[in-house]
Amino acid sequence: MKNITILFFGKLKETWKTSELKQTTQAHTIEELYVELLKLCDEEPHKASIKVAINDEFVAWDSAISDHDTIAFLPPASGG
Amino acid sequence: MFDISEETINESELRKNTRDPACGGFVCFEGWVRDHNQGKDVQKLAYEAYPKLAIKEGNRIIAEAMEKFTINKAICTHRVGMLEIGDMAVWVGVSAAHRDAAFQACRYILDEVKSRVPIWKNETWTDGESGWVEQE
Repeated sequence: MKNITILFFGKLKETWKTSELKQTTQAHTIEELYVELLKLCDEEPHKASIKVAINDEFVAWDSAISDHDTIAFLPPASGG
Repeated sequence: MFDISEETINESELRKNTRDPACGGFVCFEGWVRDHNQGKDVQKLAYEAYPKLAIKEGNRIIAEAMEKFTINKAICTHRVGMLEIGDMAVWVGVSAAHRDAAFQACRYILDEVKSRVPIWKNETWTDGESGWVEQE
């Protein structure tokens, strides 16, 4: 089991009704973690548009999760 | 250099920092909050960022521009927090020996920042409703 912190930004904060979660997970990858997290939200977001980050760096969905990682889920940017 | 700012953007300071005696041209873009978007009347908006990743990605974009174009200095600052109509949301400035490179680099930096830097816009409309803005 790994203890991780999960961050949600933009409209994904509304999807999961929080900006931060402390979670204990058995997930090995972000992909697996995402499937776990879908149980916590009423409506499934548009996954293909979401970018993911581990410890403040963009990573791929199949990236491995380690104990104490901070995982972020980012909707498409809309700055400017 | 890329930065995000919770305070009003000081464009004269940024412009000064972009100056270079080897440069004959300076191109600047200022993005302002406008009073309408996607058919709705906008009252104000809030920008939210993932600060650490935004600064890393913004600086990667500046480095790419320095590599791609023959420019001397490039600076971009993006506001976060609550902004009113007319407030400056983003400032990009590029100085170069010649104008073509400065124009191209300024456009490149702005376009890449808008699509890649983790910053999100939440608009409040004049009808009192609010919502996250989707990428256009």
